[in-house]
Amino acid sequence: MSPAGREVTITIDGREVPAVEGEMLHDAARKGDVEIPYFCYEPKLGDPVGACRMCLVEIEGIPKLQTSCSTPVREGMVVHTRTEQVKEAQNSVVEFLLVNHPLDCPVCDKGGECPLQDISYGWGPGKSRVIDEKRHFEKPIELSPLVAIDRERCILCYRCVRFSQEVSEDAQLQLIERGDRTYVGTFDDRPYVAPFQGNITDICPVGALTNYTYRFRARPWDIEHAGSVCTICPSQCNVSFTVRDEKVKRVISRDNHEVDDGWLCDRGRYGFEMFDAPERVREPQLKGGAVSWEQALEAVAEGLRRAGGKVAAIAGDASNEEGFLLQRILRDALGSPHIDSRPSRGPKADVLRRLAEPNVSAKVRDIDEADAILVLGTDPLHSSPILDLRVRKAIRRNGAKLVVATERPTALDGGAEAIARYAPGQAAHFVGELASAIGGSDNVATPVAETLRDAGKVVVIWGERIAREDGAAEALLDVAAATNMSTTDGAGLLEIPDTTNARGLREAGCLPDAGPGLSDTTAGKSTEEIREALISGELTTLVLFGADPLRDFPDTPAWEEALTAADFVLTFSMHDNATTAKSDVVLPLETHAEKDGTVTHPDGRLQRVRPSASRPENVVPNILVLSELATKLGLDTGIDSQPTAFQALTNAVTLYNGIEDEQIGGRGLRWQDREGATSARTGTEQPGPGGPPEGGSPDTQRDAPISMVQPDPTPRGVASADPPSGGPSTAANGDLLLGTYRDLWAGPVTELNPPLKFLTPQQRVEISRTDAERLDLKSGDKVRVNGIEAEAHVKERVPAGVVFMAEGVSDGNANALLNGGPVQVKIEKLDEATA
Amino acid sequence: MAHRLEKRVLLEHAEDPDLRTLDGYRRLAGGYETLERAYKEMEQDEVLQELEDSGLRGRGGAGFSMGKKASFLPRGDMAKYLCCNADESEPGAFKDRELMQRNPHQLIEGIAIAALAADAGHAFIFIRGEYDEQADILDAAVAEAYEAGYLGTNILGCHRDLELVVHRGAGAYICGEETALLDALEGKRGNPRLKPPFPAVQGLYGGPTLINNVETLSNVPHIVRRGAEWFKGFGTEQSPGTKVVSVSGGVRKPGNYEVELGIPTRELIYDLAGGPEEGHEIKAFFPGGSSSPVLKAEEGLDLPYSFEAMAEAGSMLGSGSIIVCDDRVSIPHLALRTARFYHHESCGKCVPCREGTNWTVKMLERMVRGEATPMDLDIVSSVQQNIIGHCLCVLGDSMAMPVGAMVRKFREEFEEVMANPDLVLDPHAVVQGAPETLGAST
Ligand SMILES: Cc1cc2nc3c(=O)[nH]c(=O)nc-3n(C[C@H](O)[C@H](O)[C@H](O)COP(=O)(O)O)c2cc1C
Ligand code: SF4
Ligand code: SF4
Ligand code: FES
Repeated sequence: MSPAGREVTITIDGREVPAVEGEMLHDAARKGDVEIPYFCYEPKLGDPVGACRMCLVEIEGIPKLQTSCSTPVREGMVVHTRTEQVKEAQNSVVEFLLVNHPLDCPVCDKGGECPLQDISYGWGPGKSRVIDEKRHFEKPIELSPLVAIDRERCILCYRCVRFSQEVSEDAQLQLIERGDRTYVGTFDDRPYVAPFQGNITDICPVGALTNYTYRFRARPWDIEHAGSVCTICPSQCNVSFTVRDEKVKRVISRDNHEVDDGWLCDRGRYGFEMFDAPERVREPQLKGGAVSWEQALEAVAEGLRRAGGKVAAIAGDASNEEGFLLQRILRDALGSPHIDSRPSRGPKADVLRRLAEPNVSAKVRDIDEADAILVLGTDPLHSSPILDLRVRKAIRRNGAKLVVATERPTALDGGAEAIARYAPGQAAHFVGELASAIGGSDNVATPVAETLRDAGKVVVIWGERIAREDGAAEALLDVAAATNMSTTDGAGLLEIPDTTNARGLREAGCLPDAGPGLSDTTAGKSTEEIREALISGELTTLVLFGADPLRDFPDTPAWEEALTAADFVLTFSMHDNATTAKSDVVLPLETHAEKDGTVTHPDGRLQRVRPSASRPENVVPNILVLSELATKLGLDTGIDSQPTAFQALTNAVTLYNGIEDEQIGGRGLRWQDREGATSARTGTEQPGPGGPPEGGSPDTQRDAPISMVQPDPTPRGVASADPPSGGPSTAANGDLLLGTYRDLWAGPVTELNPPLKFLTPQQRVEISRTDAERLDLKSGDKVRVNGIEAEAHVKERVPAGVVFMAEGVSDGNANALLNGGPVQVKIEKLDEATA
Repeated sequence: MAHRLEKRVLLEHAEDPDLRTLDGYRRLAGGYETLERAYKEMEQDEVLQELEDSGLRGRGGAGFSMGKKASFLPRGDMAKYLCCNADESEPGAFKDRELMQRNPHQLIEGIAIAALAADAGHAFIFIRGEYDEQADILDAAVAEAYEAGYLGTNILGCHRDLELVVHRGAGAYICGEETALLDALEGKRGNPRLKPPFPAVQGLYGGPTLINNVETLSNVPHIVRRGAEWFKGFGTEQSPGTKVVSVSGGVRKPGNYEVELGIPTRELIYDLAGGPEEGHEIKAFFPGGSSSPVLKAEEGLDLPYSFEAMAEAGSMLGSGSIIVCDDRVSIPHLALRTARFYHHESCGKCVPCREGTNWTVKMLERMVRGEATPMDLDIVSSVQQNIIGHCLCVLGDSMAMPVGAMVRKFREEFEEVMANPDLVLDPHAVVQGAPETLGAST
């Protein structure tokens, strides 16, 4: 079981091949340039299953042929892959596979990129002896609204089923029936709906699983593959766009172990049709009417000049270069320090610098080898889906111990050793308690702390939003200290930010109190302060770059007011939305299939977004727009292309000094991993990579003890809240405390994407059983919550005293209820007549 | 009364219905005395040594040394398991049913002693779902054994625990394959696992697991009571002990006969099972259940009935079940019927078995319908060759070996049937079902 890691030499087909003891023979052969055909083997899916028998080889000293996918390498092994005996076995497996295969390649989407086709040509007998009737299934049918299944083509390699059971752990896909009657399906033929289902179309070695979005759209010889990065969420998965006639037709994984492990979530995979949505901003707009770029930029320059420095900017979905240029315009052309890239507020620059220290930073791959993982204040499934899979893998394959500390129940709770639920607004308090509990104190955080104390390599995956609370980030650094992160290789903090390129934008200088490279600078206003200053008139002008405050930021009414109060609002946006409707000038943004630029992964990896598809005619590269604007405002940035923008960025951002585009290449480069990388604060060298993995037993379902955390008695204005303490504990007036979360599917990615529309979430009010009983509510009842009407959803594991509602949904967005502090809500049951 | 050719050890007192009860078992067979001695006086290694020295070979099919297998289990504090394989689903085999039905306590005592040898704290009897009556009998006996303190915690005050659970299968032949059995016990789809790791190292719930057949485990109390030397006094050097042989098919007295291994096969079939019916001759027989290559009468009848002799003749003793085909049996139809069984039972996990069984059935169906040419016989043969040794478990081979042997040994008969499909008067005169009782001599 243990990959001993010893270098050994084996002989394959008479040639000596170096190998690592314990690795699978198939892998050693591949590295030694020996091709052994295979179907079912896929290490990403876990242990080999040995189902297809395609990889049989002869090993001297063993009478029967062995499956190379499941045979660990031993020193001195002598292997033959081309003998008569092996050839016969390969021929026969191909022949068997085709006994029931319809051979409808001419009308199969997989044709031309099909392992079964390739292996039949390369390793099969070349002719068929089968004259008997083949098995028949109705075909194709809907496995889900996104994936069609053709069961006649399926070779039952188990890959899709293993993905569902052992990677995404949704366990919906099953093999039904047995023998040659076996087929892939779901219980009761229900649609397979899960956030990662598209991956099964990538791993299916035949045309049995195809994407409805791609069926009959192109042939392999019609298409080009363009590697880029998905910037829909901070996971920044590496993707390859399948492009035909300069349009994206499909998104597939570009397997980067350091980032995504070769998986994509369905947002990233199917979210591309929004590039062409009717709502797409396709040309500059002035007061709602289309204008030429010339006119638009004139109006913008005029508007910004008129502000006389009372201008602020907020960046959201932007590349590093765009963010860098934007902050230069603000600071150097307009003389304003007011720039931010966060939805409300966040830690001060000195804390951010400490958080960015390489020795307390984890990289994604550290999750795989962590001894203990703390998921804190975030549900990766919603906020960085691909990390949900990564954590599951660490538990299942490496025996990592997971603890979860959040307001709201998470998708990972089932695998946790201990769970703590703190009340909304109590994150800072909880993290502080946690740090002292790890240090030995006995308090509410002790059950969670016990798993982390002396655990070895601890990785903390934390949500940016906890750091909206004062002191939370500092407390997090105390947790890092208490678990000896800075001296433990492979341990560290890994942030899941609220926006896709949050780290890159902060490092590019889009912070109110830090310039490029988190350098010291004149302090400006944070997002929340900008909003208040717009309302008060202290600021008059706002630039929004890829940010949609009316959907995504807390306190929608205040933002409405701020946008109304502003004299001039310039918004760069991909799509028309409520915010663009309140903007004076709207300029079109490129999509991540069109953009050329870099982004920085939350773990510090610079990645390149490459233009893969054509832009709509009037969409211009945004860095050129920004540099042109700078020129108009009298600032010569010297930037006239992506390379010059990148050069300017890396010159200005000390953390990125000297990074070359080639070093980023297709896989990215963590700035911390460079030779002699400077630390954000002290300029010290960063420590080396983590140690070897440890074994452990997979055990992913437990009933973890859940601790309900009592609130700090005197937090900012929460005195009336008496949230979860195990029993019913509601404020005397019956009010409940509101918690909010960003739903995976909320936003344009479902609303503007025809294939994903069916997943568009509706607002619902998640309430504990206790409170539901008290309020005489059952799931499905209509309720009104501080003016928002929604369905009640009684949910196991929701602590009493709290309700949860989703942010970012189009109807009843919970952001409208937030005001920067804890929010009490009243739940009114609407009877059928009123509802 | 037992026939003079029988040697009853496991089936001693089998006719007495009292044997099923704890009291009867104690009174008639000195029941649980050996367990008591083993638990109170013997070390794990002593029990292991006795089993290993006895040379007892697994009675479930593969014939592997039981003691050796038990010795492969790693030592240590991890949870270890013992599984009794009572899935008995192979056509022709019905001996485990008899052993459980008539003497359930012998098996329980065997399990408890084997658990000592394996240092297992949990044991399971995985019994095929159709053996409803036998499962009820076992349940009752297990309850009695718990009651008497032979199972449970702190057995006989010796600070050893053993939980024993009777688990009823859901009726799949493949769940008799040891690793599929483990998956089924764990509540998963009953599919074989890749080996290695072998169950002895990583079995049930990932823990070291000893898996043995009902008959194998039923031998354990006798060996530990009377010693390895006594046991080796029966049978041949390589096949020590007695064997309960299920004889069925074209014989006058089908049933289970316990004999010393190594007796002439002819005596088993003719003297014990009564030979073929009046006016008929034996044409061929399966010496070890439906998965063993058939032997023509002239090849096989005079062989000693032992593991080694059957292997040498190109067949196998398997689970020790003889299916006799008299001269009325149409071999092509028998081949089809055999193939259909394995096609039906193939789990479908691996390609050669899943597709090979299905294709073989289709080809054989064409043959008996007269829609095939001799070239198809070559294809059938080559398909069997392509299955053998290429599968994940041996279910595929279990079809390919007998079907391949039938085509090879009775090619003319296939050609005859293909040419004149109507000539076969009684295509269903293949083999009879399993009889209900001990050998007709009782
Ligand atoms: C398809 C298949 C079915 C099997 N069915 C049984 C069975 O019903 N009972 C049994 O004892 N062994 C069965 N075996 C053999 C078991 O895998 C295993 O070898 C046996 O239980 C070991 O016990 P033993 O060493 O005592 O014989 C089967 C094997 C295969 C491949
Ligand atoms: S659908 Fe595709 S991936 Fe799934 S078992 Fe069939 S061939 Fe394999
Ligand atoms: S040989 Fe047959 S029964 Fe065994 S694993 Fe393969 S398909 Fe399943
Ligand atoms: S790749 Fe080895 S059995 Fe399928």
